[in-house]
Amino acid sequence: MDDHLIGIVSNIGVISFVALSAYLLLLTGEISFGQQAFFAIGAYTSGIVTAMWQLPFALGLGAGAATGAAAALLVGLPTLRLHGLQFAIATLAFAEAVRILFELFRYQIVRDGELVGPNGIEGFRNIRYIFENDVSATEFMLIIYGLLGATLFGLFLLERSRLGTAFRMIGEDDLLAATQGVAVVPVKLTAACLAGTIAGLGGGLYAHLTTYVEPAIFDVMLGVHSLAYGLIGGLGTAFGPLLGVVIDIGLLESTRWFAGYRMIVFGGLVAVLLIVRPRGLLDEQLVHRIRRAVRRRPRPSPANDTVLGKELS
Amino acid sequence: MIAVPGFLLSLLVAMVLSGSGLAAGVKAKAEVSCAATAKSLEYDCAIKLSDQRSGAALTGVDVTVGADMPSMPMAHNVKPVKAVPDSAAGTYRARILLEMHGDWAVKVDLAGPVRDRIVKSMRFEPKP
Amino acid sequence: MIPFIQTTLDGLMVGSSYGLLALGFALIFGVMRRLNLSYGPSIMIGAYLGTLLYIKFGPPTYVVAIVAVAGSVMAGIYVERLCFAPLGVGAGVASMVSSFAIWMQLEQASLLMLPRHSYPFPSLTGGELWSLGPFVVRPDYLIMLAAMLAMSAALTLLLYRTRFGLGLRAIVENSLAASLSGIDVERTMLKAFALASAIGGVAGFLVLSANQQVTAMLGMWATLKGLIAMMIGGLGSIPGAIVGGLALGVIEAHSQNLFGPQVRDLAAYAVLFVLLVLRPGGILGTTAVRRGMGQRGGDRWTTT
Repeated sequence: MDDHLIGIVSNIGVISFVALSAYLLLLTGEISFGQQAFFAIGAYTSGIVTAMWQLPFALGLGAGAATGAAAALLVGLPTLRLHGLQFAIATLAFAEAVRILFELFRYQIVRDGELVGPNGIEGFRNIRYIFENDVSATEFMLIIYGLLGATLFGLFLLERSRLGTAFRMIGEDDLLAATQGVAVVPVKLTAACLAGTIAGLGGGLYAHLTTYVEPAIFDVMLGVHSLAYGLIGGLGTAFGPLLGVVIDIGLLESTRWFAGYRMIVFGGLVAVLLIVRPRGLLDEQLVHRIRRAVRRRPRPSPANDTVLGKELS
Repeated sequence: MIAVPGFLLSLLVAMVLSGSGLAAGVKAKAEVSCAATAKSLEYDCAIKLSDQRSGAALTGVDVTVGADMPSMPMAHNVKPVKAVPDSAAGTYRARILLEMHGDWAVKVDLAGPVRDRIVKSMRFEPKP
Repeated sequence: MIPFIQTTLDGLMVGSSYGLLALGFALIFGVMRRLNLSYGPSIMIGAYLGTLLYIKFGPPTYVVAIVAVAGSVMAGIYVERLCFAPLGVGAGVASMVSSFAIWMQLEQASLLMLPRHSYPFPSLTGGELWSLGPFVVRPDYLIMLAAMLAMSAALTLLLYRTRFGLGLRAIVENSLAASLSGIDVERTMLKAFALASAIGGVAGFLVLSANQQVTAMLGMWATLKGLIAMMIGGLGSIPGAIVGGLALGVIEAHSQNLFGPQVRDLAAYAVLFVLLVLRPGGILGTTAVRRGMGQRGGDRWTTT
């Protein structure tokens, strides 16, 4: 693979974290325009840990994920009783406020005769961990995909667990879920924290991948994009948002020959796709059908036969 | 909660990989200036590379120039181009084709004897 | 005291542009219960068409105004046909994401028309200042304030005194029942959308002529300010849009005066956040939401 391709594939991996984070909240029926804030918090935190405090990379990533989770908890406490548009705009307000705070945030130390650290609107340059420690681009891509794989695996376990079922129940109807004994607020808070953790982790990876971050990267565009990924790829499974990212970045790269018309072509394609499949390519129905096809074939149990027989007769 | 075991696993991967790293190499410094060409959205960039500490010119480096638009991180980026060495030591030239005018983060990637990346924020306007 | 009042006045002036933007937003959200992120970019298309005409031929200002409004109505109808009409009532999130995709499209189309970061825009008044006693006001903004009040009055009349308004309100109450009683829901929605885009187009024109320039940030700016003003005032209500717009303007003016431009936006977002947490219905709160157009404003509008 050449460097450019590695760069694109790494980008797809990192952006997938934000998409998964937005997807997790979509499962509980809430739309967040603000997941980019946790991504930003993770990016700045892990950059500070490795580039300024000179601590190991793993610690930086862990700190990024932890601050992402903590911030999500803080925001989740007051906002999670809001619904729909009000929740969406509250998260938007929070995320934009965070972006502006990073524009005002200055914290620099001298290293190698040069200032390092977040410098307001100029951003945070020289997060040079991968160069200082000779991590090649391919190695870093493998780290990203290792973490992404682990996160996906965690999400799959989650979706099979009681907690995951509770997420989807609340997403369908929170009042009904509450009458079924689901503790709505704690479960939603858990979802928000997990989403914050995932976004924070992704942010840490992003900072080290690009070696610089600046507040402008984390504006509303990124947040709405990450929501769109879930919708394009499908809300039926955690692979959906991933597919969305691959389609978006893949399509953008492949429609490069449209040059100046790229966004016109791409925007139109997405709009048409959503008319055909309003819940994305891998929507719940398709996922369910695939699961059944996979599961049913090996062992048609006698009990099932009788039930089916009764229904047919 | 449930993501924790997976997360620990990958931390392990990250630590093993990062453990192999050793000394910090040369830290590069770059001066970049771009001028509009006759064609719209096409810019000629001149890059001057030197060692941050000694100030010596860096020669024989593989230089690649790319650009991102910070306000649209994924939507707008430029396919990186290889820069060719210019006459003076440590100077390189590259011609980049942008997608739109505005503020860009120009990324200069170094490979070969020196590995590094320098990012410059620049505003590109059309020729008056 | 005089500087304080002057700042408040400035805030009210700028706030009237936010109020105008919020008016169109409130109309769409009130009727459709769906968020049109392409609202700002539709205005941008109109404004850019007007600017293109102005730069190329230098026509009289009213021609530019007509082109700007017509352009944003056209873009608005395009958005409605592509993102809202084909998707069923239940697909709120899909409509929103779809309108976001069209946002990208409209913005790039505008930038293809005029690639620079900023262009001049014709002014209505030449940007002069009037002094009223110790205070200074700009006639541009007085026009905007008047336009906002006139338009909200006209909109109220339209909603409560015409057949079209009756149909619209019936759809807001219950679109299924409305269609059963013979209202052409799809046509009415399209008309409402076009009307909202026209209001947006007027807002865009007035703001740009007051600024005497148009920048590439217009689309994002209009969507965000309109949305925030609507949320501050109260979801989907006409008085709410005005109150929200003016309140946003005053908050911004004072915080800019006290702490500078970066803190201005920070203060606006902080107020919005706190307000949403403490009083989710906005300033005009639950009563307005219960009575007026935003009846189900607090409900979930998007999932399922």
